[in-house]
Amino acid sequence: MESLSPKSVKVSFFRRYKLRRLLRHGVLIVWAIVLLFPIFWMVQTSFKDAGEWVSWPPHWLPHEPTVHNYRQIFAFGASGFDEKLSREATEQAFNIWDSLKDSAIIASLSSLVALVLGSFLSYSISRFGVGGKNFRYIILTIRMVPPIVIAIPIVMYYAILIPHVTQAIFGMRVSLFDTYVGLGMLYMATALPFVIWMMLSFIEEVPYTLEHAARLMGAGRIYTLRRVVLPLVAPGMVVTFLFIFILNWSEFLLALTLTQPDVTTLPVLLNKFQSAVEGRLYGPQAAIGTVITLPVVVMGVLIQKHLVKGFTFGMIRK
Amino acid sequence: MTELEPSQSKWLDREKNGGLCPVQFMKRVRAWWGQERVFRLVPFVLVESIFLFFLAVPFAMTIYISFLKWRANRPFEAAYFKWFVNYKQVLTEPAFWEALGRTFYFAGVAVTLELTIGFFMAMFVHKVVRGRRFYITVFLIPMMVVPVVVGYNFSMIFIDSGPLNQMLAPFLEMFGINPRIRWLSHPVAAQWSLILADVWQWTSLTFLIFLSGFSALPQQLLNAARVMGANRWQIFWRVQLPLLKPAIIVAVVIRCMEALKLFDQAVLLTFGGPGAATETVAFFLWRQVWMFNKYSFGAAASVLLLIFFSGLIYFGIYLLVRQRAIVSQESL
Repeated sequence: MESLSPKSVKVSFFRRYKLRRLLRHGVLIVWAIVLLFPIFWMVQTSFKDAGEWVSWPPHWLPHEPTVHNYRQIFAFGASGFDEKLSREATEQAFNIWDSLKDSAIIASLSSLVALVLGSFLSYSISRFGVGGKNFRYIILTIRMVPPIVIAIPIVMYYAILIPHVTQAIFGMRVSLFDTYVGLGMLYMATALPFVIWMMLSFIEEVPYTLEHAARLMGAGRIYTLRRVVLPLVAPGMVVTFLFIFILNWSEFLLALTLTQPDVTTLPVLLNKFQSAVEGRLYGPQAAIGTVITLPVVVMGVLIQKHLVKGFTFGMIRK
Repeated sequence: MTELEPSQSKWLDREKNGGLCPVQFMKRVRAWWGQERVFRLVPFVLVESIFLFFLAVPFAMTIYISFLKWRANRPFEAAYFKWFVNYKQVLTEPAFWEALGRTFYFAGVAVTLELTIGFFMAMFVHKVVRGRRFYITVFLIPMMVVPVVVGYNFSMIFIDSGPLNQMLAPFLEMFGINPRIRWLSHPVAAQWSLILADVWQWTSLTFLIFLSGFSALPQQLLNAARVMGANRWQIFWRVQLPLLKPAIIVAVVIRCMEALKLFDQAVLLTFGGPGAATETVAFFLWRQVWMFNKYSFGAAASVLLLIFFSGLIYFGIYLLVRQRAIVSQESL
């Protein structure tokens, strides 16, 4: 009968509750450590010197922390070959500035154009029903096709048809292979489904009555779009832009197959080191990985509320 | 009012410029653009022309090339028609079928693991009050990491002097095994390392989908079930799980579609090896086309793949559309 006294009931309930809560936190913290460990390992490798990269047993923290890897990839104070940076295993200063520039230009420009076009289109889909009822699902199929099925036709298209056609029409061979335009157009085409679906979910939240009122008061179509709709969907457009920027920034297959050697995006550059002839350069690779990942993770954390909307094409909303 | 300068009046007068001065012209363009039938079609035409010129035309050309006999080390003019020989070659190539089967195997295992882990993590985080924001932020970080970098990270962890071997060393040495195992040189271990890399990265997505599913559960229904005397298991199986069905279907469809594209990690982590143990279909085709220059073979294979995948895509989209319809009906 003691166990039924109010005090002991309360204590045991509290204990059980607390134990369950502790267990839950334990599981979650273990999973958080599992998720953060590979990133931690990359960052700490990027601060190791050559001798420590693959030492056995591995050092969990660099014994002699150095920024040599970063100096090497950014080639600070060096143009091409530098005495100070040369080393037995790594004979040169790898310059990632060019790839950084290529990646930034292609990713940002193609995302921007895709954002503008896609927003307009999703506005007309939502308000006028352009393209029919199933148009949005037809667009979705483009995203579902595996990129290799897109890459094989495109490489032949760039290599054969476009040079032949431009030769016939303009009298000079234009090759889109290994150019900003060639890769950028494809990034646009593959980002458009995401833009259209995300913007549709943002635009459909704007009440049509607002536009209707503005139109009745004599505002033009463009004016209404600029002064009524745009301010309401602008945050959504920023989120969409960041989202497709992340996708374009990390795209690998199309960049690997349609560019090189002139245009080299950062993921392709990282891959080059993976198969380096004189042995893999773990340190510079880790430094490049950190440099690529950092801006994207920051952006992702900024738009974390909308990430699920983006990846599920706005089908799951919070 | 003073008279306009001649130079200014040239821009404004209709007569002086053959009826088309710039100001008038801009006005006319604006009036044209403001019309509804034009306004609604301009973005449509632009986007469709991108899809036409960068997806449809190349694909039509691929169908043409898939009937030719052509390798990229010869000029294109030297190619000649061989009709269905390429298709026959692809369909009778055992490596193609093996790669396809492997892709489905990887996708199946990885998506199952992702769904299970993501579901339980979402269930736990949903109940947590303190530290909720922290967990959500940490759990979604892997999703943003560039896939290439994920491949690199895991290749660092699985090398013979990596942290994994160090952690396993005490157990392995007990049995007298050399702890410096080369995980990526063993076929089965390499396959599993590929799957684990995928699970590491994309469990975040299933977690997020399920978390938003859990937080959208109507509290009254759960309370009602509890009042009527349902126990935890009954509430979970009979109330929560059916309500989460839309989220589960969306997660399955989207993750399956993405997992079947697996390429980046296969290149970075194992480069298809050892042997062909981790060759996914994307990797197989990439090797055929870009390393062996078998363009017409690649063209035939990509046509076949598209036909093959279009059934899957159609089915996936059908599921999504149905779920969307149900959800929007319920929310009305």
